[in-house]
Amino acid sequence: MRALLRSLLYLYPAAYRAEYGEEMRIVLEEVQTQAKKTGPLAQALSFAREAAGLVHGALEEHAHGILFPQDFSFIPQRRLSMRSEFRFPKAAVALMSVILAAVVVAIDKAKAISASAPHASLPMGPIQPLHYSVISTLLITLAGLGVCGVLLWAVLFALHRSGTQRLSDLNPSASPRPGKTILS
Amino acid sequence: MTEPVLLILLSLAEQPRHGYAILQDTLHMSGGRVRISTGTLYGALRRLLRDRWIERFQEQDNSRGKQAYRLTALGRRNLQSEVSRLKHLTRVANLRVAPRET
Repeated sequence: MRALLRSLLYLYPAAYRAEYGEEMRIVLEEVQTQAKKTGPLAQALSFAREAAGLVHGALEEHAHGILFPQDFSFIPQRRLSMRSEFRFPKAAVALMSVILAAVVVAIDKAKAISASAPHASLPMGPIQPLHYSVISTLLITLAGLGVCGVLLWAVLFALHRSGTQRLSDLNPSASPRPGKTILS
Repeated sequence: MTEPVLLILLSLAEQPRHGYAILQDTLHMSGGRVRISTGTLYGALRRLLRDRWIERFQEQDNSRGKQAYRLTALGRRNLQSEVSRLKHLTRVANLRVAPRET
């Protein structure tokens, strides 16, 4: 049970875990130790409550991180370096492989069709009326604009994730992080 | 302000406390009615830290890695304001709910 609760901590964003993960792990240990003394039923209830709380909290933090990313910007995740932090995700590599395979298969099919078809000129079909071609042109244009929009969004998202935006938001003259007051 | 957050602030109003002590104190204050989970507690603590209602408190002995928190002046002012609001609400509720004399 404890191991499962500890593993649920990995549902939280990395920055959040770096900030509160160790504290939360200690509190979870203490809560489970206390629950163990009160019997199996109380222990099961405590486990369910803690698990639900962790899942709910992780979802909330992810949602908050998406809606208000600047709230996590003060947490240093790694050393600041001039090297770009952008990395191609594994999913992108897999997707590109699938696209490449599809292109290769399409070329092979086209070659097979070209080889099997007679070289004589095929009879042409009826010419489409003008409004059909206008509609199809509009649809193709809209689809092209949509694809361009998606690509633009992907580039912006990649830039945002890469830390370029975080670097531009960095204010060297800002005051030190709040909440770190140390009593002397 | 939700009840768990109010209880957390009330717990820290008395003295600085770390996570598990806050959970125990809120359970005690609510008479066993409100059991805050660890996830809920740290979600609330993060928001309160962000809003500067609470701050981290460095204890002399934090060898076990426990982090204590305490109320800031802003947090105390806001808590007093909330308590005043609740007092007023309770007073009005008592007047409305109390049996009328005939």
